Amino acid sequence: MFDFGYSISYFGKDMGLNYYHILKRVREARKLVIKGTTTAGSGHPGGSFSMAEIMGCILFKFLRYDPKNPLWEDRDRMVLSKGHASPGLFSNLAVAGYFDKSEIETLRKFESRLQGHPDYKCPGVEFCGGSLGIGLSFSIGMALAARIDSKTHRIYTVIGDGESDEGQVWEAAMAASKYKLDNLTVFLDRNFIQQDDYTERVMPLDEELASDDISEMWKNAARWKIGDKWRSFGWNVIEIDGHRIEQIVKATNSALQTKGTPSIIVSRTVKGKMVEHMEDNPKWHGVAPSPKIAPIIDLELDCQFLIAPSIIAGDMANLENEVKRAAHGRADFVHLDVMDGLFVANKTFDHNKIKELRPITPIPFDAHLMINEPVKHIKDYVEAGSDIITVHAEVCDESSFGEIHDTLRANEVSIGLALNPETELPPWAERFIADLDQLIVMSVVPGKSGQKYIESSHEKVQRIAKILAEKKFTGLIEADGGVDLSNVESCFLDGARVFVGGSAIIGQKDVRATIVEFRKKILYARRKLLIQKAYSLGGSELVSKWIDLHEVGKKKSELVQIAKEAGYV
Amino acid sequence: MTEMTDMRTTYGETLIKIGEENPNVVVVGADTTDSLKTRPFGKKFPNRFFNVGIAEANLVSVAAGLANEGKVAFASTYAIFLPGRCVDQIRNAIAYPSRNGKLGLNVKMVVSHGGLTVGADGGSHQQIEDIAIMRAIPNMRVLIPADTVAVSKLTWIISQVYGPFYMRMARSKTPLVHSEAQEFEIGKGIVLRDGSDCTIAACGITVQMALDAADSLKKEGISSRVLDLFSIKPIDAALIEKAARETGGIVTCEEHNIMAGFGSAVAEIVSETHPVPMRRIGAQDKFGESARDNEVPLLLAKHGITSINIANSVKEIRSKTR
Repeated sequence: MFDFGYSISYFGKDMGLNYYHILKRVREARKLVIKGTTTAGSGHPGGSFSMAEIMGCILFKFLRYDPKNPLWEDRDRMVLSKGHASPGLFSNLAVAGYFDKSEIETLRKFESRLQGHPDYKCPGVEFCGGSLGIGLSFSIGMALAARIDSKTHRIYTVIGDGESDEGQVWEAAMAASKYKLDNLTVFLDRNFIQQDDYTERVMPLDEELASDDISEMWKNAARWKIGDKWRSFGWNVIEIDGHRIEQIVKATNSALQTKGTPSIIVSRTVKGKMVEHMEDNPKWHGVAPSPKIAPIIDLELDCQFLIAPSIIAGDMANLENEVKRAAHGRADFVHLDVMDGLFVANKTFDHNKIKELRPITPIPFDAHLMINEPVKHIKDYVEAGSDIITVHAEVCDESSFGEIHDTLRANEVSIGLALNPETELPPWAERFIADLDQLIVMSVVPGKSGQKYIESSHEKVQRIAKILAEKKFTGLIEADGGVDLSNVESCFLDGARVFVGGSAIIGQKDVRATIVEFRKKILYARRKLLIQKAYSLGGSELVSKWIDLHEVGKKKSELVQIAKEAGYV
Repeated sequence: MTEMTDMRTTYGETLIKIGEENPNVVVVGADTTDSLKTRPFGKKFPNRFFNVGIAEANLVSVAAGLANEGKVAFASTYAIFLPGRCVDQIRNAIAYPSRNGKLGLNVKMVVSHGGLTVGADGGSHQQIEDIAIMRAIPNMRVLIPADTVAVSKLTWIISQVYGPFYMRMARSKTPLVHSEAQEFEIGKGIVLRDGSDCTIAACGITVQMALDAADSLKKEGISSRVLDLFSIKPIDAALIEKAARETGGIVTCEEHNIMAGFGSAVAEIVSETHPVPMRRIGAQDKFGESARDNEVPLLLAKHGITSINIANSVKEIRSKTR
């Protein structure tokens, strides 16, 4: 059997994003990168993390492969040209099942299959990369061979921005265009950092960096020139945020449908993404974390959080606009509260509305079904384009939830289970926990927007988080109901990682600014948690050591402040 | 007068015959396809022929990608633009990738314009370092055919033997030194003339010089053994050892720098198996320069690459061994 193929038709519609499926694997791969590089004492975590979502989407959404038969002739090929990010590649291959995850601890060691750079010794590796600038040319050879043989498999190639200094990249750019290689999709991991410094200082791809703040390049789209370079070479160019799964998936689908030219997805990324002290710091291009810091990083990777504005808190007569506001506000999900007037007294909208809203944005649709007999309607909501569907435990049993589970999995839609304030995790749900993507713990009685948070929910989430951890839950807890700026920190510390904001977000005038405020609050709580972790592992000394790693921007002084307030230094 | 034939023409014609038999053979060029005579292959098999322009790094790496997918990829241009310019791509994209016991990828780098006989284009275009570069790369095999018979047969052989090969041809027409019936085997040298007093080992255009030297030495009563060691890597160690043992001295002649080149390869075997006096003829760690076709013998002579120098070296060695 091979893994997940193209988004092929089912019910005559495209599949869901498979959002959590990808997210969980990306997170696991990042953890393995830390494990591998820490054990090795060297390696390149920064570039492994900037391409983490790209690699996760290729491998767990698009690539056709068979870990049991790595050289299966009709497999798609994934070429990592920026080979120094091999820990990222190896980790993903381990997660994909090519070899046991424990093998990551042999990274860079004598007689290991996991060499310092990608090597055929490791099953699943398609290109021995490392000397930069070669992989795209190699991919062209692969793509030409596929064409000669009338094969339909595809080549996915990841190149780096520092790598793009190599003249050979542009030799290859011309050749792929000449040969109209539409079976070739390239991802440019545009993380703005190379070994010496920021790319725009060493060799500008966009334009020269004036200040010390790399974020100026991120913020100002008018300064992005690299896409124009590729366009002028005759490529189909798609520019995205390379950490947003839905954007990667959308861009890849578009590339797959583009005929007559090769496609490049210019993915703006952050080097060291998801670990604050590594993010945007050129120092972390090729340095491994110290073993003392590794457990803190591990926790940090578990503390990824998402904001899900609930559009019913806005103008019900113009939900289209509410979706746009959420998208413009850079929400992670659009939370859709479906109420049928039966399971709850109120009625909001049904799958028809979701279908109408779907084309507005690729942001994942997080459909929360507050309806009776969800099993009867599940296909409608899949077909409407939901990416995550959550059903209520009160209206499911083992058999109906099993059916829902299977339907959602088959359609690459993520699976959620919701509990009302009065409901505990039902015993029948136990066997699904390990595979569940999202658990919504309601902190208001569902039915309408704008209610006050039920205080006892804090204790409930903490209790459930413990149970879930014991049952090997790998999804995220979603806090839903009365979550606002005053309590979101505690909700995070309870164990919630997705935060639904109704009136607290969509009800506000400036959604984007409010989401920024939400993120700041949660980040504050997360930093506190991590400082606490550092203290428990190595006292004030480790706290200071960890804080000192945060060299870029104001992070360090902010952390010192938090640590002082909490009495850890 | 020996018949002169053109290696590139033979190469191009042979490729077409191979292409007819083996649908997996592909040819990649870099704006020198007319010169390398690979263009007719492209006319005949347009789907299996790629011209990547003046982009040798891409040439080599695209060929590697094709080979990775099961193609037998011939990559051809001038010598100066492959080993010298693309050693990184050759090493890392072709020679290094190995799996399931297959060492390196199945790319055949066949070049022309090797050595000083490039002539008029000048020292910048005379590749006199390629043997040294290529034989230092693990998994790489290095061949320098002496005439069109060798070119034809070796092109066939490398299309059938798995792995990376480097084969260097000359720019100018070369005399036929082999009969059509001559058989070739990778790693085996050919004894063109048997002799007992000394051995002359040559490859490529110097094979004819070796034969000429042997002729003149014979007139002086010196019996020389002439070896065509077209397979420089793997080299025929047994044949070299035997020659050292039986003739007591070896002169090598190459159209290449004597540093780490052909003579060095022979010397490595001799010194480890049966040390005897040696002389290495070739460019003495100096670059070449322009020379029109009729002046090329003068250029070679300036670097001591002549049959006269070979003969003199044989005599010099013999004076030492006696």
